[in-house]
Order: sequence, then C-alpha cells, then structure tokens
Amino acid sequence: MITPATLTVLIFVVTIGLILTLLFRPRLTGTRGGKELAFVALFLLPLVSGGLGLSEHFERSKQTTFCLSCHIMEPYGRSLTIDDARFIPAAHFQNHCVPADEACYTCHTDYVLYGGIRAKIRGLRHVYVQYLGKASQPIHLYTPYNNRECLHCHLGARSFESDATHSAIRDDLVSNQLSCLTSGCHDGVHNVAQLGNLKFWSGAH
Amino acid sequence: MAERNTIDRRLRISGALVTLGLLIQLGSLLWTHPTAFLAFAFLGGPLVIAGIAIFLYSLVSVQPDEP
Repeated sequence: MITPATLTVLIFVVTIGLILTLLFRPRLTGTRGGKELAFVALFLLPLVSGGLGLSEHFERSKQTTFCLSCHIMEPYGRSLTIDDARFIPAAHFQNHCVPADEACYTCHTDYVLYGGIRAKIRGLRHVYVQYLGKASQPIHLYTPYNNRECLHCHLGARSFESDATHSAIRDDLVSNQLSCLTSGCHDGVHNVAQLGNLKFWSGAH
Repeated sequence: MAERNTIDRRLRISGALVTLGLLIQLGSLLWTHPTAFLAFAFLGGPLVIAGIAIFLYSLVSVQPDEP
C-alpha cells in the first residue's frame, strides 16, 4: 500500500528525474512538447513536491518522537513513563488515552480554530530558541494550561459526567475559573524535578 | 542561435537550482527532527523558488522573432 509519505517521495524522484533529463538534453525544449515538459518539470511539479513535502513535515511535527528529539524535552518524554497513575500525562500516555505517537501534540494544541497553526508558529519559535536563543530553565507554558484542552475529550464522557466532584464544579471547570491541574485535584503532571525519586514503567513488551 | 543558447543556459541554471533544492528537501524527509524542517523550508525552499523564478524569467525574456 502506498502511504502519503511514499507518494511524496515518488513525486520528488519523478520530478528530479524529469529535470535531469532536461538538464542533459536541453534541446528538448526546442519543441512544443519539450516546452510543456519543461513547464511541468520546472514549475508545476516542484510546487506540488514542495507542498506535499511541507504537509509531510507538518504531519511529522505532531509526532512524539519529533518533540522529544530536542535534548531539552528529554525529561518530559521520560515523565510519560512514570509508574504512577496520579501523574496525568503518564497515565494518559501509558493507557493510550491519547495517541501514543502524538502524545505531546494532542494535549499541547489549543482546541480552537487556529490552534494547529498557532502550535506550528510556536514550534518555529522553539526551533529559533533551540539554535539561536536560550531556553528558559525550567521551560514553561506560554499561558496557564487551559481546561479546554482536557474537556475537549472528557466533557460529555461518562467517567467525567458521572463523577460527583466534577458535577459540583462543572461550570467552574468549563469556564476555566478552576484549573483541573493547579486546583489540587490533578496536580501530578510532568513534574520533571522529581524524576529522580520516581519509578518508571518499562513499557509494553 | 544566441537567443537559444541563452535560454538553454538559463534552463540549465534553473534545473540545477531546482534539482539541488529538491534533493535537499527529499533528504530532509528522511529525517524526523526540527533541523530537517529547517533544511526543507530555509535551504531547499529558496533554491527551488530561485530555480522556478529563473525558469519563468527565461520564458518572458525571450525576444519575439523579427518579421
């Protein structure tokens, strides 16, 4: 089966092949067919290839391995394997409550109209800081974690709605007046400063 | 004849730039890392765009044949 990534690579290879043909036989462009071939090979296909390649890179940037490929993110990746269900990211990651291969992106994208685009722009800034700037230590979120990102999945779910505590404070949670994470209820998050004192799950075998 | 040579030369330059850009972009697709995206967007991208621009310029700069 041809995956989008394979198709993208194929289009790149075909484009390069056509251009090399024109490079070594430029006289081909003396004919009408040759001119059309040059237009396709030197204009249309490079644009299509670029678009597909960009899309492929955007898709890859959602991957957990992509986020964790930066050294500074290493402890955050490690925190996903903490062997304690009170740590929310670890419990979500290990039980596949979020897609394991897109764990970071799933919880750290704003679920609003331009959330994905904003995440990409922030990603570019992170790359800039990685190579040309200085990351803050410890790193922190731009804004306090919004309940919206939790409720995107949990609101309406039986486990959330049938819980008496959630029902009692539902409006405050929905309006983000009371934080899911910092109100004392689910405050076990990445907690990278404590990693040395915690046990870790060795993963599925 | 001279016109033809000029077009050929521009096509070669255009083709070389686009090919180089596409090779860089293709290489970047084999690597999942932020640096690969940078190479794709800020190295391969400008080369491809420059190649396309030279190709388009070669099209519009052709002098029409004298009657």
